[in-house]
Amino acid sequence: MLLEARGIVKTFGNVRAVDGADLAVEEGELVGLIGPNGAGKSTFFDCLAGNLAPEAGSIRFAGLESTRLSPDRHARLGLARTFQVPVVFAGMTVLENAMVGAFLRHESRARAAQKAAEALEFTGLAGQAEMPAAALGTAGRKRLGIARALATEPRLLLLDEALAGLTSSEIETAIGLLARIHARGITLLVVEHIMEVIHRLTRRVLVFHQGRVIAEGSPAEVTANPEVIRAYLGRRAKRGEA
Amino acid sequence: MKALFPRAGFAAGALLLFAAPFLTANPFYQRVAALTLLAAISASAWNVIGGYAGQVSFGHSVYFGIGAYAALLAYAKLGWPPIAGLPFGIVASFALSIVVGLPSFRLRGHYFSMATIAIAALAGILVTNWDFVGGAIGVMGPARARSFADLLFRSSLPYYAIFLCVLAILLLFTRLLQKSRMGFYLRAIGSDERVAQSLGVPVRRYKLYALLISGAFTSIAGTLYAVMVGFVDPNSGFGILISVNMVVMAALGGAGTLFGPLIGAAILVPLGEATNALWGARGIAYVAYGVIIMLLARFSPGGLAELGRFIVKGWRRRAA
Repeated sequence: MLLEARGIVKTFGNVRAVDGADLAVEEGELVGLIGPNGAGKSTFFDCLAGNLAPEAGSIRFAGLESTRLSPDRHARLGLARTFQVPVVFAGMTVLENAMVGAFLRHESRARAAQKAAEALEFTGLAGQAEMPAAALGTAGRKRLGIARALATEPRLLLLDEALAGLTSSEIETAIGLLARIHARGITLLVVEHIMEVIHRLTRRVLVFHQGRVIAEGSPAEVTANPEVIRAYLGRRAKRGEA
Repeated sequence: MKALFPRAGFAAGALLLFAAPFLTANPFYQRVAALTLLAAISASAWNVIGGYAGQVSFGHSVYFGIGAYAALLAYAKLGWPPIAGLPFGIVASFALSIVVGLPSFRLRGHYFSMATIAIAALAGILVTNWDFVGGAIGVMGPARARSFADLLFRSSLPYYAIFLCVLAILLLFTRLLQKSRMGFYLRAIGSDERVAQSLGVPVRRYKLYALLISGAFTSIAGTLYAVMVGFVDPNSGFGILISVNMVVMAALGGAGTLFGPLIGAAILVPLGEATNALWGARGIAYVAYGVIIMLLARFSPGGLAELGRFIVKGWRRRAA
């Protein structure tokens, strides 16, 4: 098991954002994590990547107890992530952005530049390498986020809504990219709330609702699951009652 | 041609810097030139943590004061030449960075800046009420040179030469830093800490490295100031205006650029000295500072470096 989380709890004041969530990802898998907005996916994600410390539960990554390790230790162990809102290092070029990731495993500047260029090539950003990163649009920024993460040479890549906010043609390109990343042997955990994307990408999906996993299986299985349907469609009715 | 131009510009700039004070026999201009370089040293030192790593310290006068007091206390208490206080200042700056700087890194953005102001204010009060270090009166250096090691010269030119060497070392060091992994990591931290950390940057460790380097060079600037001026009191060592000067000079020239702080110093120090000479009132220069800060914040947050790049870009576009 590459990544295993058990009974994760994270609260903000009175809100139990993550409430006893479990997850297990095997090396080489491509797992989808879906759920309606506000289900606690991003908070759970932050716990897995070391950005937030859970109040209860434990996480093991690559055979190590990683629950309370800092994000940089996670990166060193081989867990990379992207962020929902794509932030670039504004004062740097696209290549320099990717170099920050590459420096994790390569201290020499020349070597880091080479590795970063490879990551840009792979993500289709090679043509923009010398551009200021701030000049990129949303799709470019998301791709740069992925390139930067790839430059750290991860075993597991956590993608937080990597496709949100993209046009349909950009989504096609992005799906192709994710498939190629997976083909390289990198394990992927993909958070999305667009069902179609998950359908096309993965064979195993976890459905997150109210801070925990309520269903698991193939995309077809989970979309047929009545509890999942209620979670996605029942919100409006519930809000009406309250 | 494109590669040649910055090199030629650099050479011309270096030559001008070297030759500037020798072009005039006027001791006032020579003194202004020396003070400009001294200010450039402390602003460039501030730039390492405040510019590259984006941790805007308004308390760097603490390091300046430590360096200045280390020099004159070495003379007053031990009878050593003031310059011998330099290593003590550096060691004390390291200790301060670790004991005080490290915990304050938990604070981000404006909160970090406010903490640094508080620390500097505290240090000033402490020194004012500590009789061993001269209290509110301050400490004097040697009145006349006992040996060459006292580095007491009537002319400002020898100081200019010393400051130029130190500045060259600091800028060379900064240049190497800029090209290294550490330089990339500091800029990444300055841009977005959370993303930097997710890419494996040990943020607090690298901030500490930056503060250690920045603090040590600022304390060296303080030592050099004390050697030249031969007197320091709580205000001239720990006053908030010393910190503000570093920030404004770096911001004017371009924080996080190699020559930005030097350019800022080359504009503001002569401006300050000129207004003092013309109107005698010490306040005028600071009125100008206020205006400059407002103009920068409004029109060019990246300082003159950004403005310069912008102009060059437009010029190239027109030429093409």
